[in-house]
Amino acid sequence: MGAATALTGKQKVAWAAITVAVLVWALFPVISIMATSFKLPSDLNSGSFLPTTWTWSNYEQILGPDGSAQELFLSSLRNSIGISLIATAVSSVLATLAAYAIARLEFPGRKLILTTALGVSIFPVISIVTPLFNLWRSIGLYDTWAGLVIPYLSLTLPISIWTLTAFFRQIPWELEQAAQVDGATTWQAFRKAIIPLAAPGVFTTALIAFFIAWNDFVYGISLTSTEAARPVPAALAFFSGASQFEDPTGAISAAAVVVTIPVVVLVLLFQRQIVSGLTQGAVKG
Amino acid sequence: MLALGVGLGACAPADDTPVLTWYTNPDAGGQAALAQQCTDAAGGAYRIEVSVLPREASAQREQLARRLAAADSSIDLMSLDPPFIPELANAGFLAPVPDDVAEQVSEGVAAGALQGASWGDELVTVPFWANTQLLWYKKSVAETAGLDPATTPVTWDQVMDAARDQDLTLGVQGIKAEAYTVWINALIESAGGHVVETPEAPADEVELGLESDAGREAARIISEIGQDRLGGAGLPTQDENASLSQFQGDSGSFMVNWPFVWPAMQAAVEDGTLDQAFLDDVGWAVYPQVVEGTDAAPPYGGINLGVGAYSEHVDEAYQAAACIVAPENQAAYFVSDGNPPASTVAYDDPEVQDTFPMADVIRQSLEQAAPRPQTPYYNEVSQGLQETWHPPVSVDPDSTPQESTDFITAVLRGERLL
Amino acid sequence: MSTDVRSRPRTAAPAPGKARKSDRARAEARLGWLLAGPAFVVMLAVTAYPIAQAVYESLFRFRLTAPDDRAFVGLGNYGVILTDPVFWWSLLVTTVIMVITVAIELVLGFALALVMHRAVLRLRGLLRTAILVPYGIITVVSAFAWFYAFNIDSGYVNSWFDWVPGISSDLNWFAGTGTSLFVIIASEVWKTTPFISLLLLAGLAQVPGDLEEAAQVDGATWWQRMKRVVLPNMKAAIMVAVLFRALDAFRVFDNVFIMTNGANGTTVLSLLAYRTSIGRLEIGLGSAISVLLFVCVLIICFIAIKIFKVDLAGARGEK
Repeated sequence: MGAATALTGKQKVAWAAITVAVLVWALFPVISIMATSFKLPSDLNSGSFLPTTWTWSNYEQILGPDGSAQELFLSSLRNSIGISLIATAVSSVLATLAAYAIARLEFPGRKLILTTALGVSIFPVISIVTPLFNLWRSIGLYDTWAGLVIPYLSLTLPISIWTLTAFFRQIPWELEQAAQVDGATTWQAFRKAIIPLAAPGVFTTALIAFFIAWNDFVYGISLTSTEAARPVPAALAFFSGASQFEDPTGAISAAAVVVTIPVVVLVLLFQRQIVSGLTQGAVKG
Repeated sequence: MLALGVGLGACAPADDTPVLTWYTNPDAGGQAALAQQCTDAAGGAYRIEVSVLPREASAQREQLARRLAAADSSIDLMSLDPPFIPELANAGFLAPVPDDVAEQVSEGVAAGALQGASWGDELVTVPFWANTQLLWYKKSVAETAGLDPATTPVTWDQVMDAARDQDLTLGVQGIKAEAYTVWINALIESAGGHVVETPEAPADEVELGLESDAGREAARIISEIGQDRLGGAGLPTQDENASLSQFQGDSGSFMVNWPFVWPAMQAAVEDGTLDQAFLDDVGWAVYPQVVEGTDAAPPYGGINLGVGAYSEHVDEAYQAAACIVAPENQAAYFVSDGNPPASTVAYDDPEVQDTFPMADVIRQSLEQAAPRPQTPYYNEVSQGLQETWHPPVSVDPDSTPQESTDFITAVLRGERLL
Repeated sequence: MSTDVRSRPRTAAPAPGKARKSDRARAEARLGWLLAGPAFVVMLAVTAYPIAQAVYESLFRFRLTAPDDRAFVGLGNYGVILTDPVFWWSLLVTTVIMVITVAIELVLGFALALVMHRAVLRLRGLLRTAILVPYGIITVVSAFAWFYAFNIDSGYVNSWFDWVPGISSDLNWFAGTGTSLFVIIASEVWKTTPFISLLLLAGLAQVPGDLEEAAQVDGATWWQRMKRVVLPNMKAAIMVAVLFRALDAFRVFDNVFIMTNGANGTTVLSLLAYRTSIGRLEIGLGSAISVLLFVCVLIICFIAIKIFKVDLAGARGEK
């Protein structure tokens, strides 16, 4: 890996260049929309990257008490956080149980469950949307939190099961064995010995699941129609300017920045866990 | 809950007052203010709560049609874009207007607005505000071209020549969206034709009027503006807002647009990004003519109020609608949000005259205005037009009208995808 | 990580009698399904049931705003779709987007994986964090960021790159098919390369270090080592990454919806399905498109597994 060996001067320069290139590539679009979010409406068409005069007015529009998009934005933020958290929680619980069974127990159908998860994860979302829309409107789940949590499970469950199964297979099961020898049942062993060991994996998986639910757009625009359940990505597409014909570029940019902040914070805090979660769940030879 | 509580301030205490949900198109907050006002005026008979729809007219229709198809009883009042009214009326999604309300709300309303609020011969919605496009121009540019649109109506050819000669751009809406249909329809109507000849026919019997002299003339104007780059490079993606920005730039000359541009330009002057001198140079007139000497048929837009067929409070909803559209409220809404009244009386309001020096031109334009095709299949017609007429540069007067007729007819018969 | 590890503790357990063993196996199977069953049922319920309903509804002519006109048309909807150039064009556009994004992402993702793999410890955290930002960002946000940057009115790209032949202040990116697709693909690549690069990083970690060292001792150049040692050992990881991203890219929707909403011939299959069923409320036709989209995904999977021999189960540790 060469991490331990000292770098020559040339290598240092090369690494510095690579790092800068990667940083620019990864962060530039974020900085770009951030710059747009500080522009006045009349400054938008100047063709320059940075605002000529910096303004908070776009943020006031979405967050301020008199902001025209405040209600739309804050309610969608509430919906997005709530729905994504519930979907994450439900899928984490279901996936933890399933992954434990798959990793630990010998029972017919393990492979079937994993294959199903794989199949569901490659399923084209739009194929489910039409029938779900039809079903939801007849049973009253249209435009409700539950109406989004349920389809979100189709996005979060498969990857959670795969990632957690991979995690659980690395846990030293001798501990459970030891607990069982001490007279604990399988369930007790699971609770006392395994949960503490599995918690980091579950946390990482939940983080990834949350990102996926947070990102959804297709379900969000198709299965909601009011502030009762409309999530952030859908609300972004519905913003408006001072009148219905004015483009809400500034407000959208400001809202985009606001909803990106939690993502950046989570990534900063947990990059190691996210990387290990994604790589573990993915390939195990 | 928290955010909602903050947003609404103090929620009224729980009681038996029927709560009416009013689905509004986004505006600068005027409809929410009217909701509050009429709630107060009702003295406990009902309470109106506002729920905002998406920005694009077609997206508003999508949301409402979906909910109504689900027989949603929470839809009491709806702000409806006129072209989508027949579809909802035809499907039985709108509660019938009581006779006394119909009489009350159609008094003194501009002819175009009444027509836009009806399906068949019946009033199915309550006219609220009526929009129309004007011709906005830089007086300096018009003068150089030897035109005075304010006194003598101009034609599209004159406007195009002026832009061509002075190497400037025209503000028109060439984006593949509803705004483009608005433009196409206004050109065809101004030339004496109609996009749809039999608006009330069932889907497979709808007859289009595109293959006519009017259709070909409209296609010629659009194709010339596209091919001579008179709309600028942004034409294929230009919406109302982009037209305004272009108009405010150095290359701006003439622009067809809704009256919202007036408050928007004034706001830009206040922000310090636009000179007062620019504003002083701006003139306005009725929409350009297609056929010289024949009055133009400017675009007609606006919003009417519909009452959901599944609402549990139809009577209260109609009372509320009648309150919202009272002429003085329409005038106040015009002043606060820049959306012109459907009631001709409201234009005499001194505050209106003061805020909108072009109020009389707007009223005249509304009298001349022609609505977009009032067919239950408007969505297909409009999208079919956009599909075959976009981008403007590809329009060919000899083939486009026929191609789009064939395409839209096939879509309506269920033989083609959109 | 395979069966032997899993069974080790079990064989270490005190050997039970035969009857007890089958009792225990039955109990284990019951517990297994008890634990895994809910997840399994939920997954089936949210996918298998809707797709079955879509298949059923695709046999009707049914428009939501004309509920009385509902009529059984058999395979008529499929006939309309499959004979319509609009469908084939959107299939082509979708495939083009899929192939180009996956190809670019594979190269870019591999480069990023190498960078993350080899970076000194101090840089690793920084690089990973930066690379994860696009991964975590909402696709719609990415779409708006790229859209505003290239937009002829509010963008700055035209003025920054006007020295590039073909780019001038007059270039309207969202007025042509090629240029629109360019920006759509750019946003798609930016947002999803981190995912593919992490999958490849996992593959890189599996390449036996001693093999590479041995090759280095033998005097093999960097390129030779890549070609002979690293890539062959990563084949499984690469195949899985490509298949997953390809299927994901085939569903592209958000970027197109925000940037062009299908103008200039950029209507992708997902957008066509959305516009038909959710926009026009033509439930029958829309369901038929949904079913066809599903069939396309199945075909891609079939091709990948049968022709390219992607061993999903094997690569994912399920032997």
